[in-house]
Amino acid sequence: MATISIQHMDKIYDNNVQAVFDFNLDVKDGELIVLVGPSGCGKSTTLRMVAGLEDISAGKLLLDGKDITQTPAKDRDMAMVFQSYALYGHMTIYENMAFSLTLRKENPNVIHKKVLAAAEVLGLTSQLNKKPAQLSGGQRQRVAMGRSIVRNPKVFLFDEPLSNLDAKLRGATRREILLLHKRLQATMLYVTHDQTEALTLADRIVCMSMGHVQQVGTPLELYDAPANVFVASFIGLPPMNFYDVRVNGDTLTGKGFQVGLTPQEKATLRAYAGKEIILGVRPENIVLGPDVKVTVNTNENLGMNTLVHGYVAGTKERMTAKLKGWSSNKAGDTVSFSFKRKHFFDKETTNAIKEVE
Amino acid sequence: MNGDDREIRLDRMRYIKNTSSANLTYLGILFDVFFFVNIYRSDVDTYYYNILIGISIVYNLVFLLAAFLASEGAKNYKSGYTWLLGGLGIGQIIRIFIIPMRAHSAMTLVNGVETLVMQNGQFFRVIAYLVISGACLLVAAAINYRKCHELSGHLKSLGLQGA
Repeated sequence: MATISIQHMDKIYDNNVQAVFDFNLDVKDGELIVLVGPSGCGKSTTLRMVAGLEDISAGKLLLDGKDITQTPAKDRDMAMVFQSYALYGHMTIYENMAFSLTLRKENPNVIHKKVLAAAEVLGLTSQLNKKPAQLSGGQRQRVAMGRSIVRNPKVFLFDEPLSNLDAKLRGATRREILLLHKRLQATMLYVTHDQTEALTLADRIVCMSMGHVQQVGTPLELYDAPANVFVASFIGLPPMNFYDVRVNGDTLTGKGFQVGLTPQEKATLRAYAGKEIILGVRPENIVLGPDVKVTVNTNENLGMNTLVHGYVAGTKERMTAKLKGWSSNKAGDTVSFSFKRKHFFDKETTNAIKEVE
Repeated sequence: MNGDDREIRLDRMRYIKNTSSANLTYLGILFDVFFFVNIYRSDVDTYYYNILIGISIVYNLVFLLAAFLASEGAKNYKSGYTWLLGGLGIGQIIRIFIIPMRAHSAMTLVNGVETLVMQNGQFFRVIAYLVISGACLLVAAAINYRKCHELSGHLKSLGLQGA
């Protein structure tokens, strides 16, 4: 297995459009890194540069300490799994999985052993004589993964591999990828726009927006301590609520509400006294309480939880709260909430306001 | 090849098609086509205009169909197609003695001059086509027989149904 070091990597296309800006990342041996971000943020471009499918405009790419920036894709010893599976329809699953090794003129008996081993890992043994069209989407994606596994590459690259699957299959295949990673202990780079995939799969997440890395950290770090408003809004479902508020001594005053600050929060915001900041509150950190009156707009009962959507009373400030249990609020009802946990962001930079030690 | 390699080679047959038999059969078909487009080139004074030409054309169509069917069967290790391939191979050899041999020894009058229906050059060429075609089919049959036998034994040893 392998380590990857990406240093100051840029991607500038011929038409001078820059897709990736100063990308830096050190991937440890056996780590599963997920690149997450909205469409067009440069995550797939980054992956394709690592794979060698796109030229690197500036910067360096090191694999196990060796500079492979100019190395052709075929010599990088990396295997890529695409969203579209890219299987050969006229070949059987066995032939698809064996294809890359056949091209390399490996011993057929060695190929056979590798294909059977990969099929066993992926639960495809009984499907080896079938054609891709006879398999479900999830099985096809497993074949695509199997094709990568037989090569025994140093690094696995996944480009939105689950996007073509329905929700149920996506969940099942996601768990399979996780098990596969645990079993192979392989270094993996995984691109997705789905934050659930990112949070459940990643050892570390790289959150990107408009070609820039916004934050690198563990899933918990990104969820619990987002570096800026973008990360805070992108990670977490439903997304975080944001409000412009003013720091007034022991309280935060927003449009239509006022909430108190704990001593620790007050210490964090010491430098912002009298200034406007952005207050972020996750829906799951909102509980029934006396601080903020909300006029209910819609109520989504999900069984275990209820999503209450509404507006801060008398304003157009939206609020979504995730309450435990079944709630029977109706549109027009007024509910009162308190914030269990708050996130603070600088209004100018949109960066998180860090706690002062 | 040690025992382990042989075992893997046999196991590979569960997933790899019998392309050698199938490809030899395609080759047999190809040489049959060469034979067929060459045989009537020597028609002199409508020598071939008898019942043989009809039978020959019909047989050739049947041959093409059967050989293609057999190639698909052999590709999937169907042992029954061994006999069809063998029969078609032998049929190609027998065909040598029907039109080519007869045409080669026959004379016909062209403008009052006795002329050989099939010259030596053409005769040896069509004979070669038929021999190659027949040989390909017979070898394909032999390979298919051996492979089907081996695969069937291997599947039985694995406790799976025979081929």
